[in-house]
Amino acid sequence: MYGVCGCCGALRPRYKRLVDNIFPEDPEDGLVKANMEKLTFYALSAPEKLDRIGAYLSERLSRDVARHKYGYVCIAMEALDQLLMACHCQSINLFVESFLKMVRKLLESDKPNLQILGTNSFVKFANIEEDTPSYHRSYDFFVSRFSEMCHSSFEDPDIRTNIRMAGIKGLQAVVRKTVNDELQANIWDPQHMDKIVPSLLFNLQQEDCKESACSCVSSLPQGSEKEKESPLELTERCFRELLGRAAYGNIKNAITPVLMHLDNHSLWESKSFAVRCFKIIMYSIQTQHAHLVIQQLLGHLDANSKNSATVRAGIVEVLSEAAVIEASGSVGPTVLEVFNTLLKQLRLSVDYELTGSYHACGNIDSAVVKEHEERQLQEAVIKTVGSFANTLPTYQRSEVMLFIMGKIPVPGMHPAIGPASSGFEGSRMIQLMLLKALLQVTTGFQTTNMLTALPTSFLDPLLSFTLMEDMEIRLLVLEILVSVIDRHDNRPKLSSISIISDISVLKLKVDKCSRQDNLFMKKHSHRLYRHIYLACKEENSAQLHFETLYALLGLISMELANEEVVVDLIRLALALQDLALTNEDSLPVYNRCAIHALSAAYLNLICQLTTVPSFCQHVQEVIETRQKRVPFLLPEDIFIENPRVPETLEKLEGEVVFLQTKIAEVLGGSGYNTDRLATPYIPQLTDEDRLAKRKSIGDTISLQVEVDSRNSPEREERCPAEEITFETLKKAIVDSVSTEEQERERRRQVVEKFQTAPFEEIAAHCGARATLLQSKLNQIFEITIRPPPSPSGSVGHGSTQRRSVPVYEMKFPDLCVY
Amino acid sequence: MEDYDYLFKIVLIGNAGVGKTCLVRRFTQGLFPPGQGATIGVDFMIKTVEIKGQKIKLQIWDTAGQERFRSITQSYYRSANALILTYDITCEDSFRCLPEWLREIEQYANSKVVAVLVGNKIDLAERREVSKQQAEEFAEAQNMHYLETSAKESDNVEKLFLDLACELIREAKQNALVNSEDSSMPGEGKTISYLNCCSFS
Repeated sequence: MYGVCGCCGALRPRYKRLVDNIFPEDPEDGLVKANMEKLTFYALSAPEKLDRIGAYLSERLSRDVARHKYGYVCIAMEALDQLLMACHCQSINLFVESFLKMVRKLLESDKPNLQILGTNSFVKFANIEEDTPSYHRSYDFFVSRFSEMCHSSFEDPDIRTNIRMAGIKGLQAVVRKTVNDELQANIWDPQHMDKIVPSLLFNLQQEDCKESACSCVSSLPQGSEKEKESPLELTERCFRELLGRAAYGNIKNAITPVLMHLDNHSLWESKSFAVRCFKIIMYSIQTQHAHLVIQQLLGHLDANSKNSATVRAGIVEVLSEAAVIEASGSVGPTVLEVFNTLLKQLRLSVDYELTGSYHACGNIDSAVVKEHEERQLQEAVIKTVGSFANTLPTYQRSEVMLFIMGKIPVPGMHPAIGPASSGFEGSRMIQLMLLKALLQVTTGFQTTNMLTALPTSFLDPLLSFTLMEDMEIRLLVLEILVSVIDRHDNRPKLSSISIISDISVLKLKVDKCSRQDNLFMKKHSHRLYRHIYLACKEENSAQLHFETLYALLGLISMELANEEVVVDLIRLALALQDLALTNEDSLPVYNRCAIHALSAAYLNLICQLTTVPSFCQHVQEVIETRQKRVPFLLPEDIFIENPRVPETLEKLEGEVVFLQTKIAEVLGGSGYNTDRLATPYIPQLTDEDRLAKRKSIGDTISLQVEVDSRNSPEREERCPAEEITFETLKKAIVDSVSTEEQERERRRQVVEKFQTAPFEEIAAHCGARATLLQSKLNQIFEITIRPPPSPSGSVGHGSTQRRSVPVYEMKFPDLCVY
Repeated sequence: MEDYDYLFKIVLIGNAGVGKTCLVRRFTQGLFPPGQGATIGVDFMIKTVEIKGQKIKLQIWDTAGQERFRSITQSYYRSANALILTYDITCEDSFRCLPEWLREIEQYANSKVVAVLVGNKIDLAERREVSKQQAEEFAEAQNMHYLETSAKESDNVEKLFLDLACELIREAKQNALVNSEDSSMPGEGKTISYLNCCSFS
């Protein structure tokens, strides 16, 4: 060729001669270096000729490709590369066009070598920064072709790997080339992302199967390629780079194909790849955008609401992992939205489980709901709620706690939220699930200010009666209380209930009670005590309940105790003993023994916390006597697998019982308020409780609620008649009888209290007297419409209480006291 | 000095195992590879044909029929000038899926795309499950061209692609006439600017 051109060389333009000269006679010899230097020098000194050089080179190259002279193709490409490198400072716009045309030409070939050659040149080109934008340049073909190469199915596995790697490198190069230049093709367009992202994921996932399948085979040839990057590493690096470059507006386009890919390849079910994928995403994305990923995942979860439980569980699992990674910042601007979606999923899952179908109206294609899968999903959601909550600062956490609390259907408190479709069992399940979620949120929650962390709006429903009846729910409520109150990680030390002769071995951490804590206790302590007392009264308590109660008592006395609280707690412990002794509620013997044991264990703990020697001595003595005579009244003998409980519990007297008078006496010596201590603790039912109780019984209200909520479109249709079962009616009747009894009991207590109660409690009640004024006023109003009631009705305290007062009036005494 | 006059992108779609890859192989390489494995993701072939003295470059994107690659294959519909929707005449299932494929085309492909319906494997006529009439009626209703081919016997394969190329040229010329000033018709626009930016004198 050289020779042919030689004779007419003078007639040809100089650039053509220079180009021709770089090609050797035998392609094996490679590029003629000296002539290449001449060409480069010429191109540098006459940049206006550059585009012509490019055009001529590319013409020659196309010809050589067509004639299968691959040696010359390589040489031409090398020359193009060198020129590109040498001249990149000048305007190379037109030259680039012919360069890219050549790359395209090579990529169109079905020869792997040429494809790889073209890709390598493209990668080199991508690393050059151009100073002038090229508006009309399009990378469509490159993206399509490189993506295709990523999926190569060439027979020879080595060549296949090489082609795939070239594809990945090519994609990386396209991204690099375009990502920073806003004037160029927008690589973040879905039409490109939908190709790039699945191609990368395909290779990322490919390695998984390959490594597990033939790890022994691939280890041999890789010895020589050790220094080279494996396709997996390359893919991951490329994926990370892509994500790292994504700006706020592009995240969505980049993540959507990931979700699609995971959907299409059913990768949610197996979880591990999806989790790995999102770990990569979360770690490489710019942190300020991380919440967008979470939002998209949540959106995807919503979109998959009707999909099988395993898919949903997979997404939830990914969410939970992603949340942990995102720990650096917040969940984003929409914290409650996140929890709302999760709780919604929880509720849906419960509904599916109960109805056994994904469609309320019963579509034909609806798959059968697998109960255990739904259960797993529920667990996963609850776990995820926990991991999200862990990333939140304290103030947001208490917000979330309130939010979840607000979602728990507590009849008479948050009536509007209960699931309309599933009736009693449904609302129990929902309560259970949401309380579990709440427990997750409270775990590890440490607040300095109890008063703001646990406002009335949180405690009210939590301590309400309706969450007391079911044993599982009751336990959860106790555990929530425990984890909220525990701020010094003392909980594990009190995990089992026992008599410890020296509590210093527990290494309990006790801080001085702050002012806010004191205020908190002043305001809410009575409700806590009452809750503990009533929890003991429940028949269906198991060992776990007593252990948790013990922990709760212990934690209150370590976290929130001032002198007054200590006295109250001792009174409470003694009242529990009385409860077991007198047995008015005819509890089973086991429960009575357990209550005795609980009160003994607790007194043993608190006497050592108070460090009053004579108090300790008394407790010690009683315990020792019990060990000898009635060991089943101690935790060691009752809280075991098969406790030996006597048939009946005959009247216990003397040294096996803790004596109020004795304790009051010894503590009085140390400056504790003995008057108060001498008064037995009797739990008070507050007005709100009565109201709540009444409402929970009157199913009319919850019925009405269900009618209301049926109007909302998302609710599934159900016949209202189904709600009134025989069971509910029976319950209503039985319970209303017991309310009357309680009413009577209450009146008795009121009288008793005024005779015996300490100042503070009386003061509290005096506050309630303010209602007198109000009720007088009411009577005056009523007189104007109705015949006058008997005047005696307003004098007796009890009868005022008996009148069913509207809610807004009920609040009045509270305001007066505080 | 460009080595072609027109460049068209053709995408093959259809259920797994209907013979898309074999059609492409037969056309581009003249082979019928027995025991062809399932396509992974998408495959690329190029073939230049000459029609009435004009060089036509056909970029053929052969997509995987498997459901799991749907997301990557869909992304290739958009830039296609023509779609070859393939089914297997011995498999009624693949025929019954056609409406679903049409929905996909509607959703992802360019509205101007030329679509051809192809019933493949006529060499297995004795096992035919979809009658020619049935298919023709369907194609007519959808306003598509219909052709029956055999990649194995090389029946109608050449014709399929050449007819398609002619149709595309006709459309391209029409578009060029309609938009003589602004040639950036969707689909066609890419081709033309591709020519413009690379042609030097």
